[in-house]
Amino acid sequence: MPSDPRLIRNFSIIAHIDHGKSTLADRILEATGALSAREMQAQFLDKMDIERERGITIKAQTVRLVYRAKDGQTYQLNLIDTPGHVDFHYEVSRSLAACEGAVLVVDATQGVEAQTLANVYLAIEGNLEIIPVLNKIDLPSADVDGKRREITEVIGLDGAAAIPASAKTGVGIPEILEAIVARVPAPKGRADAPLRALVFDSWYDSYRGAVVMVRVVDGVLREGQKVRFMATGRDYIVTGLGVATPHPTALKEIGPGEVGYFDAAIKSVSDTKIGDTITDAGKPSTDALPGFKDVKPMVFAGVFPTDSGDYEPLRDALSKLHMNDAAFVFEPDTSEALGFGFRCGFLGLLHMEIIQERLEREYNLDLITTAPSVVYQVYLTNGESKTIENPARMPAPNFIDHIDEPIYRVTIHVPSAYVGAVMTLCQERRGEQKGMQYATAERVILAYDLPLSEVLFDFHDKLKSVSRGYASMDYELVGYRQADLVRLDMLVNGDPLDALSVIVHRDQSATRGRALAVKLKEIVPRQQYEVAIQAAIGTKVIARTNVKALRKDVTAKCYGGDISRKRKLLEKQKEGKKRMKKVGSIEIPQEAFLAILKLDE
Amino acid sequence: MKAATDGGTAAPLGVYVHFPYCERVCPYCDFVVAGRARARIDHRGYADAVLAELARRGQALAGRPLASVYFGGGTPSLWEPREVGRVLEAIVRRAGSTSDLLEVTLEANPSSLDLATARALVAAGVDRLSLGVQSLDAGRLAFLGRDHDPAGARAAVEAALRSGARSVNVDLIFGVATADGVETPDEAAREARGLAALGPEHVSAYALTIEERTLFGKRARAGSLPLAPEEHVAESFVAVAEALEAQGLGHYEVSNYARPGRESRHNLGYWHGGDYLGLGCGAVGALARPDGSARRYKNETRAAAYVRAALAGEPHETESEELGPETRLRERILLGLRLEEGLDLEAAAHALGVEPWPPARRRAAAELEATGRLTREGGRLRVPRAARLYTDGIAAALF
Repeated sequence: MPSDPRLIRNFSIIAHIDHGKSTLADRILEATGALSAREMQAQFLDKMDIERERGITIKAQTVRLVYRAKDGQTYQLNLIDTPGHVDFHYEVSRSLAACEGAVLVVDATQGVEAQTLANVYLAIEGNLEIIPVLNKIDLPSADVDGKRREITEVIGLDGAAAIPASAKTGVGIPEILEAIVARVPAPKGRADAPLRALVFDSWYDSYRGAVVMVRVVDGVLREGQKVRFMATGRDYIVTGLGVATPHPTALKEIGPGEVGYFDAAIKSVSDTKIGDTITDAGKPSTDALPGFKDVKPMVFAGVFPTDSGDYEPLRDALSKLHMNDAAFVFEPDTSEALGFGFRCGFLGLLHMEIIQERLEREYNLDLITTAPSVVYQVYLTNGESKTIENPARMPAPNFIDHIDEPIYRVTIHVPSAYVGAVMTLCQERRGEQKGMQYATAERVILAYDLPLSEVLFDFHDKLKSVSRGYASMDYELVGYRQADLVRLDMLVNGDPLDALSVIVHRDQSATRGRALAVKLKEIVPRQQYEVAIQAAIGTKVIARTNVKALRKDVTAKCYGGDISRKRKLLEKQKEGKKRMKKVGSIEIPQEAFLAILKLDE
Repeated sequence: MKAATDGGTAAPLGVYVHFPYCERVCPYCDFVVAGRARARIDHRGYADAVLAELARRGQALAGRPLASVYFGGGTPSLWEPREVGRVLEAIVRRAGSTSDLLEVTLEANPSSLDLATARALVAAGVDRLSLGVQSLDAGRLAFLGRDHDPAGARAAVEAALRSGARSVNVDLIFGVATADGVETPDEAAREARGLAALGPEHVSAYALTIEERTLFGKRARAGSLPLAPEEHVAESFVAVAEALEAQGLGHYEVSNYARPGRESRHNLGYWHGGDYLGLGCGAVGALARPDGSARRYKNETRAAAYVRAALAGEPHETESEELGPETRLRERILLGLRLEEGLDLEAAAHALGVEPWPPARRRAAAELEATGRLTREGGRLRVPRAARLYTDGIAAALF
């Protein structure tokens, strides 16, 4: 029997990184008796090392809790965890769509942050009941009244109703649980209607295939049922159904308002699109749930093994990561300079960093990652248009009519003292101001439309440095805009280093070209002849420098006491040569590419 | 050709004795040196320390022909000739045999070598004097921090030549820039000719090398040292070689020139991969084992600490390195390619019991040959004259 929807509450926790979301979740698990003391390990919900280290949730972990409220009733509480970073904006929106309410955690010492705000807006758009909580009231610097005002002024919620709490000490946890029962609406939905369930997460299990997390909206999902994914049109038989309490618990069926996961011999998570609607294949619903989007990677980079022998292990590792993360895509790529590797697509920069880190750490691979590139829409003079995500594939300038680049709406929260510096930064990055609002007398919310390529290029670091670490940002794709973009190539003795090609705005091309040329000059080993280093747009050279010829490479003195040192030097030189890549007639150490890619301006 | 590794039955051996003291330390020198006025040097105490070390390491000499003894420094010409003689005598006594060709070299500074000293050293058994002249130009001598002038340099060479020594070497440093400007290749050649004209049998001509741990190194890092452009140094190398060869001094190693038959036997020992026993503060020795491996060691570099430990019979090695046969073959390549005669790679490899031509080396050799940087006659490899300035990279390619 499906549970009574009136006794179900579905909620998530919205918080800024570090503001104690995981600790709060743990306290809730503890308070409802879901975990015994022995099982309590700090932050049960974040499973991956990297998540724990960075304090970021990548994959949502959803649990069903049983709570006996003060009204004497026993409720089913579904805590739906959300990914914690802007790169997963869409995933967050789908997780929130599975809820009727949200607990908003505001740090009583730091106040509302940009990223929190973005998720709060998502929750408000989704008509969720929001329960503000002021966390960390145990800290001496906590300013409960000030932050209540901030909640009222910045977010427009009733700050006076915020529950003071400390996830660390447990203060306020019972009040939060009571508020969830009292204020979050019970789910609506009809058990007798055709099945409609929202897919809001999926992961790969090596025994069961893709496992799909759903929230049933209408109808009942049963084991053995033939279900259809409405977006992909594919049908599967549900082979297993269950819920995490947080221990995996098998169920026969789940009804309206309930949350659970099922497996159905689905080969890959890419067959399970987040936001899709599951329906009964025999008695399908005609209306899919709203809000589905097929998310596409926005950021691309070449990933090459430092040692060509690692190509196969890299491919296997990428396949495994892709099985669990449909938003991450890859395809084989070759570079003259870097050899065989892969072109990988990511949702954003953080997503890219996480994958890179997992490859290096969990799979023990030594990698070279090329400068990230965004996806450009290139309109050709013959009327065709192309999507280009690899600078090396950019057509020659004479075939291009114009290029559109992705634009992000960037929302920045910054103390008013640094507004000028942040505005200057945004202008330098070709930003267009879209709004400026005083959240409080000391805090400003700036909105800018910025090209994604500019956001990628160390914008966040720069933002932090001009604001002494006080600014926080959030972003979202708003569309494409035409820009005067060119492909900048680096040539060594006339031969292009394909891995170093970048797409830049024409106004910045000379500066970037010069910087790259100077850097290359330091790294390209001297030859017995002079080597020209050039930065070029098409056939036009915009910056050049020379690596002077090596005229002398011989030690003056080599006697008994000098031999070991000299031999070791030459051995090192020889070892370095093994990792050289031949470009034209010149061997360039692989370290050179790494150094260039780390080019910090 | 198995003899070289056959448990010391016949392989000749060189002995290097380091004398660390100098009256002043040259700003470009990174050898093991201790600045000390001559009167304050404990001549006898240092000799006793070296003799104590010799007594401990002496079994390396047993039964082996002694090919050469080399007193380097530092400034060994500061050492009382009597003490030099005492040390030399003890070394010769320990050796299994000495050939008629035994070469005994001593390094001397022009400022500490007059005719009387030179004759006393020859009387003590030294038959080859090596003079640190470095330049015949007053400005460059001052820049190099030498305490002699051009006249003093000429007088010292003359004294050495008249001392009865069998052979005299003079050192030259080229590629020097001073505050007054850069020495041109023509000037370097003229200076080399001037030195050769003094009549030495041997000339060592070194491009000035800025070593990190020297005063010059420090000034170079600070950007306050005048430096000759690399192309200047390269051209000077060629000009000096032409000048010296025209005077009948054969260019037998990258930086060394000699009249026929007057090549430094001691140094050829290094370049041929021979064993050498190192004695004294900061000295380096390398001794092979029958299985093709070898051990190289380095002594304590602080003079006082060395003397104390050596006299007390305590260990005074600060470095010890095991050299496998493959490593030793790489050293043979590195050293052999510096010689005009090159090296017989195949013979060297067979003597060490390793493969002379692994595929990568064969490929590298073919590419070097094709680009004129290597010649091969049978197993013998040579760097042609025109490519000598690139010898290091060529050796590395063959590693």
